[in-house]
Amino acid sequence: MIATDVSLAQLMARAQAGDATAYRTLLDECQRWLARYFARRIVPAQVDDLVQDTLISVHTKRATFDPDRPFLPWLAAIARYRWVDHLRKVYRADETILDEQMASEAEEPGIVARISLATLLDQLPAAQQVAIRLVKIEGLSIAEAAARSGQSEPLVKVNIHRGIKRLSALVESEG
Amino acid sequence: MSNSNAIEALVADLVPVRRLSPRDGLVVALGLMTVAVGVIALRYGFRADIVAGHPAPIVLLRSGALLLLGFAAALAATASARPAVGPSSNGWLWALGAALLFPASAAVLMIYEGTMPLEALPGPMPLYCLGLSLAASVVIGTGLTLWLRRGASVALERAGWLVGLAAGAFGTFAYSCHCSSDSLHFIGIWYSLAVAMAAGLGRLIVPHLIRW
Repeated sequence: MIATDVSLAQLMARAQAGDATAYRTLLDECQRWLARYFARRIVPAQVDDLVQDTLISVHTKRATFDPDRPFLPWLAAIARYRWVDHLRKVYRADETILDEQMASEAEEPGIVARISLATLLDQLPAAQQVAIRLVKIEGLSIAEAAARSGQSEPLVKVNIHRGIKRLSALVESEG
Repeated sequence: MSNSNAIEALVADLVPVRRLSPRDGLVVALGLMTVAVGVIALRYGFRADIVAGHPAPIVLLRSGALLLLGFAAALAATASARPAVGPSSNGWLWALGAALLFPASAAVLMIYEGTMPLEALPGPMPLYCLGLSLAASVVIGTGLTLWLRRGASVALERAGWLVGLAAGAFGTFAYSCHCSSDSLHFIGIWYSLAVAMAAGLGRLIVPHLIRW
């Protein structure tokens, strides 16, 4: 059964009052929704971790939900925030292998999430889209992504770096 | 940990919560503004025309513009504590536009007159204005930021600007109750600078404090 937004909002209202049964049902629904949501946006092996991170955020920030408003836009806003935060963390971890010049550039601006994920990547230049999709979403190595895309390895790194910075700026400007 | 185990752990941790209401954030901002006005009144005193109950027209105008800007920015800042998608409220931009009439008018007058009035030049009084306005702004901004940390803003930089703008406008209003100047140049330049500095500080500092 697919829960409607109204029923999810009602479940969250009951959870805010301490109803554990409603909360378990709600989190089960959220978990399924989030798994679908992240499935094509990050490396498959990382989906479970991101779903759990987002569920924890739902838990810690449940007081911010207003039952008079729709539930899924609230959940989607949290999911996008966690997704872009995840990309940034992965990017920072990878940054150690980037060229010194790139690594010394200023830290990207704060992350926000306001616009549709589906359109977010589409707003990047094609070369940056390809680099991010191949490495950050499909999980290829830099060398594999370079071979697949026809870009040189340094160019793949540059495009990931610039793409994620631009992604952050795009989301922020839509905030 | 599997997702089902994670869910069981979260359910076990469930306790009733009080819903976050943006109204509470507004109360915090307005309350601290009232405290700032009170402290400035006790320590430095109100303008004589305010005490007499007959404030000069320029005082009413600047107070109205600052209160409107502060209220609109605080409203948007506190609303941002609840995650949402879709267009966000931009009513504060209109209030900002109205407040910008002061520096715009001062600039037009200076261009028209072709002189730099004394009130526009840096000196002890402008520094005093900036110091008191920013001190009051920091108090208000700190309270608003602490309240915002309970929320879940997904637009951190925007929230930072808004907190700084609200705190700057309310803090400058608190100072304006004491400020003896009626000069449009003084208001247009130094009040605007105080609000802009507070907004800039908010943008620089607040996002780091409300990240979650």
